Amino acid sequence: MPDQDRLLTTLGLLIVAAPFALLAVFFAAFLGQRRMEEQTIGRLIQGAIYVSLVAALGAAAIMLAHHLPHFTIELGDWVIAPNYHLKFQFVLDLLSLSYVTLALGLCAIIAAFSTRYLHREPGYNRFFLLFAVFLMGMVTAALSDTVETLFAGWEMVGLSSVLLIAFFQERPAPPRNGLRVWIVYRVCDAALMLAAILMHEINGEGDFDRLVGEHAWPQHDPLLIGPHFALLGVLFIIAAAGKSALIPFSGWLPRAMEGPTPSSAVFYGALSVHLGVFLLLRISPVLDSAPWLSALVVVLGLTTATFGYLAGRVQTDIKSALAFASLTQVGIIIAEIGFGLRYFALIHMLGHACLRTLQFIRAPSLLHDHHQLENAIGVRPRAEQPQWEQRLPARVQRWLYRFSLERGYLDSLLERFIARPFMILFTRFDCWERRWANLLEGRKAPEVTEIVDEPL
Amino acid sequence: MANHPPNWVAPSDTTLPAELQRLKETLHHAAHLLPAQGPIGVFIHHNTLHAFEHLTFDEAVRAGSRVFGCEPYLSEDRYREELSRGRIRSSELHTVLKRDLAAQADETVHGLSTRLELRLAMLEHPLRSGEGHELDWFMGETDALRTARRDVSEVQRRRLITETRHWVMRRIRGSLPGADHPAWIKSLFTQFQPPRIEEWDEARWEAFTMSALWAICREGGKWAGERLPATIRRIRHRDFISALGGTDSDLLVNDVLIRFCATFLDQGIAHCALPERDRGLFHSFCTLHRTDGGASVWWLTGFRAEVERLQKENRSALASIQESLTDLGVKPEETEEFLSATLLALRGWGGMIWHVEERPDRVHHPIPQGSLIDFVAVRLLLERFALRAAARTSLHYDGELATLRAVLAERIPSPQPTCDKQRAFLIFQMAQVLGWTPDRLYHLKPADWVSLFAEVEGFTELDRRRVFHLAYEHRFRVQTLDALAARATAASEAPKRPTFQAMFCIDEREESIRRHVEEVAPEAETIGAAGFFGVVMYYRGAAAADFVPLCPVVVRPQHWVSETVDRRLSDQARLRRSTRRRIGMALQGFHGGSRRIVSGAFLSATLGLLATLPLVARVMYPRLTARFRGFFDSFIAPPPLTRLVLERVTPKAGPEEDHHGFLPEEMINIAERILRDVGLTARFARLILIFGHGSTSMNNPHESAHDCGACGGGQGGPNARAIAEMLNDPRVRTSLTQRGIEIPTDTVFVGGMHNTASDHLTFQDVDRVPSTHQSEFDAACRAMQEAIIRNAHERARRFSSAPLGLSPMAAKRHMEGRSEDLSQVRPEWGHATNAICIVARRQRTRGLFLDRRAFLVSYDPLQDDGENAILARILGAVFPVCSGINLEYYFSYVDSPGWGSGSKLPHNITGLIGVMDGAMSDLRTGLPWQMVEIHEPVRLLFVIETTIAAMQKIMGKNPFIETMVRNDWVQLAVLDPESGRISVYHAGGFEPHVSTDGPLPVAASSREWYTGWRDHLEFAEIRPPTGDN
Repeated sequence: MPDQDRLLTTLGLLIVAAPFALLAVFFAAFLGQRRMEEQTIGRLIQGAIYVSLVAALGAAAIMLAHHLPHFTIELGDWVIAPNYHLKFQFVLDLLSLSYVTLALGLCAIIAAFSTRYLHREPGYNRFFLLFAVFLMGMVTAALSDTVETLFAGWEMVGLSSVLLIAFFQERPAPPRNGLRVWIVYRVCDAALMLAAILMHEINGEGDFDRLVGEHAWPQHDPLLIGPHFALLGVLFIIAAAGKSALIPFSGWLPRAMEGPTPSSAVFYGALSVHLGVFLLLRISPVLDSAPWLSALVVVLGLTTATFGYLAGRVQTDIKSALAFASLTQVGIIIAEIGFGLRYFALIHMLGHACLRTLQFIRAPSLLHDHHQLENAIGVRPRAEQPQWEQRLPARVQRWLYRFSLERGYLDSLLERFIARPFMILFTRFDCWERRWANLLEGRKAPEVTEIVDEPL
Repeated sequence: MANHPPNWVAPSDTTLPAELQRLKETLHHAAHLLPAQGPIGVFIHHNTLHAFEHLTFDEAVRAGSRVFGCEPYLSEDRYREELSRGRIRSSELHTVLKRDLAAQADETVHGLSTRLELRLAMLEHPLRSGEGHELDWFMGETDALRTARRDVSEVQRRRLITETRHWVMRRIRGSLPGADHPAWIKSLFTQFQPPRIEEWDEARWEAFTMSALWAICREGGKWAGERLPATIRRIRHRDFISALGGTDSDLLVNDVLIRFCATFLDQGIAHCALPERDRGLFHSFCTLHRTDGGASVWWLTGFRAEVERLQKENRSALASIQESLTDLGVKPEETEEFLSATLLALRGWGGMIWHVEERPDRVHHPIPQGSLIDFVAVRLLLERFALRAAARTSLHYDGELATLRAVLAERIPSPQPTCDKQRAFLIFQMAQVLGWTPDRLYHLKPADWVSLFAEVEGFTELDRRRVFHLAYEHRFRVQTLDALAARATAASEAPKRPTFQAMFCIDEREESIRRHVEEVAPEAETIGAAGFFGVVMYYRGAAAADFVPLCPVVVRPQHWVSETVDRRLSDQARLRRSTRRRIGMALQGFHGGSRRIVSGAFLSATLGLLATLPLVARVMYPRLTARFRGFFDSFIAPPPLTRLVLERVTPKAGPEEDHHGFLPEEMINIAERILRDVGLTARFARLILIFGHGSTSMNNPHESAHDCGACGGGQGGPNARAIAEMLNDPRVRTSLTQRGIEIPTDTVFVGGMHNTASDHLTFQDVDRVPSTHQSEFDAACRAMQEAIIRNAHERARRFSSAPLGLSPMAAKRHMEGRSEDLSQVRPEWGHATNAICIVARRQRTRGLFLDRRAFLVSYDPLQDDGENAILARILGAVFPVCSGINLEYYFSYVDSPGWGSGSKLPHNITGLIGVMDGAMSDLRTGLPWQMVEIHEPVRLLFVIETTIAAMQKIMGKNPFIETMVRNDWVQLAVLDPESGRISVYHAGGFEPHVSTDGPLPVAASSREWYTGWRDHLEFAEIRPPTGDN
């Protein structure tokens, strides 16, 4: 049925093309030094999202009607070399279409919200430019059928997220926290990059199709056995853990709340934080290659969920409380993937993203809502400590409280055992290099300073 | 408003050693600098610099800006912008400056210019400055030495060139051979090749003039020498480390301390409370940090042992502070300064702890006394560890903390002095704008140069901003007083019985609706009284859980009033209450559950997708959704037929049932007082409406700041309802008649409420309006409805997201949508643009378009007694409220991130008591930028209809009013009740105001005057065209 194929190809391309065109307009305006009106920007961005959304829904309807579970759109090759075959390719299936619909739907709502929320804000244009980059990245990552396409989208999402965390650049804290998130993102990007290289080493190309065989997601041929698949799995898990703030990377999640409320809502409540989940769903065949990989995912998920719950209970500001609540559910979803409950994980993720977005954008109404609740119930709502905790000895309770309050010491552990040793090592390298250079040049230079190692 | 806790006197605790007692007093004294803002749920406006009220305004803002590091006035550029658009007038800048300089104005500065001219030029012309290299580049690469500054007038420029030319031709060149000229003149001539000097064209002469000026100024600069910049005072250890580029120890400390303070103060966000919270901040902190936290931050190594020692030795917080101070090497004489600076490092949190400690009645989970001391103790404890770590790792300092400051001070390079070139550049620019020729400068002696520099540099940037600000306020004051003076001569009203009277709050937001009511119903009258209408009470609505105080915050109510549902509907009420309770419990379960593991998974997997419905509905269709919710709510809200429990039969008042309400005698006093205050003792209409006001908005942590200030940040509807019921009471009327106020039997009072965000009017106890008055009531309602729509339309002009061409009905819908919109950060402008407070009869202001900028207090001086008791008590209440609002807006506008709370967009509600920026920051106090954006920062201008003598007497009796007026925190003018002449307070006395502008512009209606205009408007007279012409 060439007609139907052509229609699907058109629709699939339209999903990606609309955000792309939007970005092109923004950049053209930037290059032409034309400052766009608030209203124009608002209309453009909403228009682009609606076009994509309608195309995505249309594609889904056609595929449902024709019982077509899987459809790929090739955009051509980028690089062809021995063992390396980079190409842009998109896939339409249950996973990609549901995730892209979710992303577009939430972005549509948040875009409408933000046009009013950021009205008269000096950074209005910058916000929506970054928002458009985010949208483009999200759509690309969601529809990608090769790991290199996914990587492109993944990077756009990461970059725009970080720049939005640092949105209020006149204060020192947002850029500082943005930088932290950026470092974690780079670590997980490196893992994804390695995974992409490994996939090419194994298959000669990065198509996800090759992993799943002839079937549509989430079924696949049980062909992927071997140590390299296990390594691939571990790399993907690291990538996902960084993006979804799983243990031990969780420390960045509350730091991401520096941006304007709507960006916190859609990124850290709903979309960015689920991108790791999405990645694991996409490469789930790899996880099935070794039982211990699945077990690792389950353990990672459950630990994160427990941690998120413990830390969430003691958070005293609404955005952090919601961020940890998000983390708890993301942990559970990850565990579900490890257990092989792929459909359930998908539904859970969609529901959770919508629910959290609603809670986030209502966060500034907390006082209002709290007051109403108080009036309805007749007494001030005060949560009780759970039974199991009250039975613990006081010492353990205190320990648990401090553990939760200091967010599992994750940040300080990373800082003490990774960041600082790393810094010290490289400062030493720097010193040696300078001394060496001075020696070669035969001149005396002032002594270079070193970071003093803190006794741990 | 003046909500700062009463000056705290430490009870002489005999058990404390004298040393610690002194320390405690020092701390409490330092605490006065902390922001006085309480929990955000009840927002009370107060003067941001209340701690400096004993100083004059100018001294206070300067001191405040030193202590807090914030801006005292707008920036010089901002004022120049106002100058160029005519908001500040050059002529008035001249007047203000002249007055400011007084006798010194006409002194000449070395024969060059008068001081007045000099300063005026410095105000009108921006003077550039730069570092040495920057200047070299500027002189070498730009036109600076070729052409005069662009802002020098053509006449001035030509004169400068011509005179230089004469000077050169007559004096210099004429005596060139042999004459002894300084080296710079010679080199100048070499540079310009004088032999063909007669053939120089205009441009060459200009270049020569500029070069000569610059050369002379350089010479003079050499006499003046270098100038050391003011030394930066560093107090805390952290300041020294930061100055050297080391790790900021405050970042380390704040990270731990903010988190801890937040959990200590939390009023119900966390699901799990801080262990041993009730035993105080210091104790719970130490106990918590005694537990194993081996993996805690790197710089807290050894902290556990330290807190263990403190607890074993049973050290109190004060003793620990003493220890820390010794360890830090703080000398006794600098203790206070050091502690203030330490407190201010996290002033939002410190202030909140102090406030909650002082006013435990304002929160649900109070904290123990002495928490502020605990806070400082913990801070210093953490600081010692952070400082050691920061100094060691980033500055290689391993010594004692006590000597850290002295050691590091030697390492800090001394600040670069302003070089003579830089100083000469200033004079170079002044010479151009003031036309100082090289000839005249050439003859200055070295001592003259020194004093010339002192003269120019003595008029600092801060002084210039102050003068600009005076001129900025001057323009506004003149404009206001001119408008009032024009009205004062207008014919008084015919004493006819009005169709109805409407009483509103004095709030400046009600100015417009009062004007519109009088435009819609010219036979009606409006009255302004403080919005609690004299009813001081704790109030509990039928659907509310708790009593809330509805009265000015300085008063603590002694009466409790509740609302009950009519007995006939009590079954229904009970059913609905339990339904509300069940829904509330379900919602609470849902919100809490979504944060837990299993229930969260269940809820998000099953109901999660349904969240898209409210998400889409509330974001895309806020107004429709709100109406739908309203419809739904009407099935569970208390039945609409309710009554206030207003009368008490038991002698003792209390919050228990049967003790609610007032005794008849008390009601009579309240009724008499309010009527006498507003001067409503005769000419009662058949119908009198009384409106309280409040505001509802979504997604707005500062919602309460939009409510009625006179009700202490509450909604004033119940007060209006209560006073109306009291005034309708026949017993009250009988007693009032005995006291000389005869309310006609056919007069009916009806209470109501005005929602200033959605512009919604509601009436209370409408079923009690007798049938004889029904048609009049309906007519009045129609008029009010029309007025409220017009009011919404007038408000809409100030919102740039509301198109200017909206019809009144569309504007009303726009306002309704605004107050229900989750994404709206400006539901209303609140008190922004407030600038005037007029205490006078309504005739003085009726028909005057005051652009929603004036608090209007009704007061009839002719009914006051010889002692002016009524005015004294009105001003006693109005002064603190209005000046508090005005000054808070001033500071939050002038430096939004500094005095205010910056942009609202990253705000994050913490512990239900305040907002932070993002995930972790100091508590942000003051108003967010989105509330003050359109404000004009001028000090409140009080115009009071009374005599000068009476005003002086009141000032003499009320120290607060005296201080505010004498120290220039407010502006004051009095309007003579007899002659209508206006006198303005200035430096201890009153001066007559002389109108300068022509007659007031006239418009047929408010709408005609404001239409199509977004910015502030001039005042105008609204005079509807009469039938005859």
